[in-house]
Amino acid sequence: MFIARSEYDRGINTFSPEGRLFQVEYSLEAIKLGSTAIGVTTSAGTILGVEKRITSSLLETSSVEKVVEIDRHIGCAMSGLQADARSMIEHARVTSQSHAFHYGEAIKVESCTQAICDLALRFGESASGEEEESIMSRPFGVALLIAGYDENGPSLYHAEPSGTFYRYDAKAIGSGSEGAQAELQASYHKSLTLPEAEEMVLKTLKQVMEEKLDANNVQLASVTKDKGFRVYGEEEMKGCVGRIEGE
Amino acid sequence: MDHSPQAWGRPRDDIYGSYNPSYLPHNKGGYQAHANGQPNTHTQSPIVTGTSVIAIKFKSGVVIAADNLASYGSLARFTDVKRLKPFNKKAVVGFGGDVSDMQYLDRLLSSLDVQENYSNGASGDLDDETENRAMMSAKNLHTYLSKVMYKRRTDFNPLWNALLVAGLDEDSKPFLAFADLLGTTYSSPTLATGFGAHLAQPIMRRAVPDEEASQKLEREKAVELVKQCMKVLFYRDARSMNVYSMAVIDENGVDLKQDIKLEAESWAFAEGIKGYGTQTV
Amino acid sequence: MAALSSYSMSASTPTFSFQQPPQTSSAAGGQTQHSFYPYTDNGGSTLGISGDSFTILAGDTRSTSGYNINTRHEPKLFRIGGSGPTHKNARIVLSVVGFAADGRALQERLDTIVKLYRYQHGKDISVHACAQRLSHILYGKRFFPYYVTAILGGIDEEGKGALYSYDPVNLKNQYEPEAAQGLGKPQLVAKPLDRKTTEELVRDAFTSAVERHIEVGDGLQMMVITKDGIEEIISPLKQD
Repeated sequence: MFIARSEYDRGINTFSPEGRLFQVEYSLEAIKLGSTAIGVTTSAGTILGVEKRITSSLLETSSVEKVVEIDRHIGCAMSGLQADARSMIEHARVTSQSHAFHYGEAIKVESCTQAICDLALRFGESASGEEEESIMSRPFGVALLIAGYDENGPSLYHAEPSGTFYRYDAKAIGSGSEGAQAELQASYHKSLTLPEAEEMVLKTLKQVMEEKLDANNVQLASVTKDKGFRVYGEEEMKGCVGRIEGE
Repeated sequence: MDHSPQAWGRPRDDIYGSYNPSYLPHNKGGYQAHANGQPNTHTQSPIVTGTSVIAIKFKSGVVIAADNLASYGSLARFTDVKRLKPFNKKAVVGFGGDVSDMQYLDRLLSSLDVQENYSNGASGDLDDETENRAMMSAKNLHTYLSKVMYKRRTDFNPLWNALLVAGLDEDSKPFLAFADLLGTTYSSPTLATGFGAHLAQPIMRRAVPDEEASQKLEREKAVELVKQCMKVLFYRDARSMNVYSMAVIDENGVDLKQDIKLEAESWAFAEGIKGYGTQTV
Repeated sequence: MAALSSYSMSASTPTFSFQQPPQTSSAAGGQTQHSFYPYTDNGGSTLGISGDSFTILAGDTRSTSGYNINTRHEPKLFRIGGSGPTHKNARIVLSVVGFAADGRALQERLDTIVKLYRYQHGKDISVHACAQRLSHILYGKRFFPYYVTAILGGIDEEGKGALYSYDPVNLKNQYEPEAAQGLGKPQLVAKPLDRKTTEELVRDAFTSAVERHIEVGDGLQMMVITKDGIEEIISPLKQD
């Protein structure tokens, strides 16, 4: 698959004669190596679920942080290079705090997503002293599922390293995304309740995960109107996992 | 002796004494501006000045006038300074205040005019509908100038002028507006700067109280009114003179006369003024 | 019911607002040092009243320097936001009184920010958000202030009148239509006025202000903001 694609592989901001930016395409590949993350929207809120890859029995599972808060009303799940996600999330947090400071209101989920994507294309070589110097030598190697609740209700966005983003009812990213997306496609409907969405996320993860799913190697989070963004605690996780195991 | 490369080609300190860098530019260690402990200063007061500019809007255009004197304090220093500057066929700027700042602005406007014509490829033909619309209007010019003035005041480096922009707006309607060193702007059917605001404005307002009156005003009447005001200004403003420039801007373009002599000048009225000095009547 | 009127630069003692700091001061060594004072006062008054479903902002249209009238028609009320230079569909009005050049600069800045907000967030800015932003714009120039007292008015997200007032460097107050201040009689219930009464009240307020302050007069500009839009009414005041 990865045969050398001539010298257009080198310059990261150089189009190939077919009009492609290989480095950006490769960064999309990097995400396919990441752990699976799933988001499902219901009328009551959005559920995010991620697979934590427990590479060692000595690993403290709670230190694997793949769902994080951006603002009270926005949270995000990631797949790909974790470290890259840190700087994107930092930017999103600053943007949403700055919006709240300047305008005395919560930022819209779409605006927050746009702010993250504005960062995505700031890579490449630019002459020093150029007005906008690029801040990265390569594209991000991470994709985000951004879930939030604003004046337009609950929403879920998928942001890619290419800087594009789309809104989804349900979306899966990462290594198991193909199978998971097909599963979501088949079982998603508009009248899902929040617990049903939790179950759908867990069941889908269960199908695509290599390890056996338990309360320690997955993590759920939700964004609702009343409680905002919330990562599920240990007990709650056990409860949710218990529910799908009963069946 | 100092043989280091930095010292090559320089006067030797042991013979000539150390070099006094105070006259060098700031980044080379100069400190002339601070020599007496004073901070760097910008213009804090005008030097050579022009007095009032007055203007009236009439039904199809605008009349604007200013005398040809540039004063150095109370000295009538230059008597042939033209303070009305035509910008294009639609706009004239009248300058009061510092003459060197006027000359700076005039140069600025010349280069703006070149840029405008260069990018538009305009022939400046008022009869051509598209040409006419593309040409920078007096309103555009006033906006531009007021931004320049406001920027400079904000930098604490003001252009010490009060200006009137007279001409036609983008719909070829008469346009008249004011801008000064603080960036203050306003518009009115009649306007005057400096002493003119005290002496000429009341006369002009009596004849043209509002927009409606100016839309009925004939060109001849407007010119007559401006002439009358210039006479009053010459009589009562000690920094004025009896030769002035007047421009009329209408759909036919700019009609500028630069050496108009005051007509029927008479100081006979002075006889009747009593109540000053040692008079005992 | 809440109303406020802001005279040009309030001072603790009654002085004419065009008294400026001395232009010249004698420095040591017998030299006279001139200084450039970057402000002036263009006079006038503005006021705002918010009702149940509307907000009225009003200001006179006279512009002054000292004892001179610069012009009889220089608006102090500006539409903020909407589309294009005509501010189509705008629902927010800003009034500024004090140094008119700063007022214009402030209005232009706020207007651009509000227009950009719509492009960036895909919705019209709320009066509350706009008020908060204006507060930061003013405070951002804390050490070289916009020398204006501003009032911002509009309709809030529930369709009620909203009103905010500012001093040159900050947000001072948010006025609620029901709020009453300094009423000693508990039997007096504060309730919002209807639109017709409010308009008459504004007209009366300005007619009497004209009699008492030389900087106020010539014309009355009123902007009535309702959910349907902004209605502008210009009527004459005494020119003396």
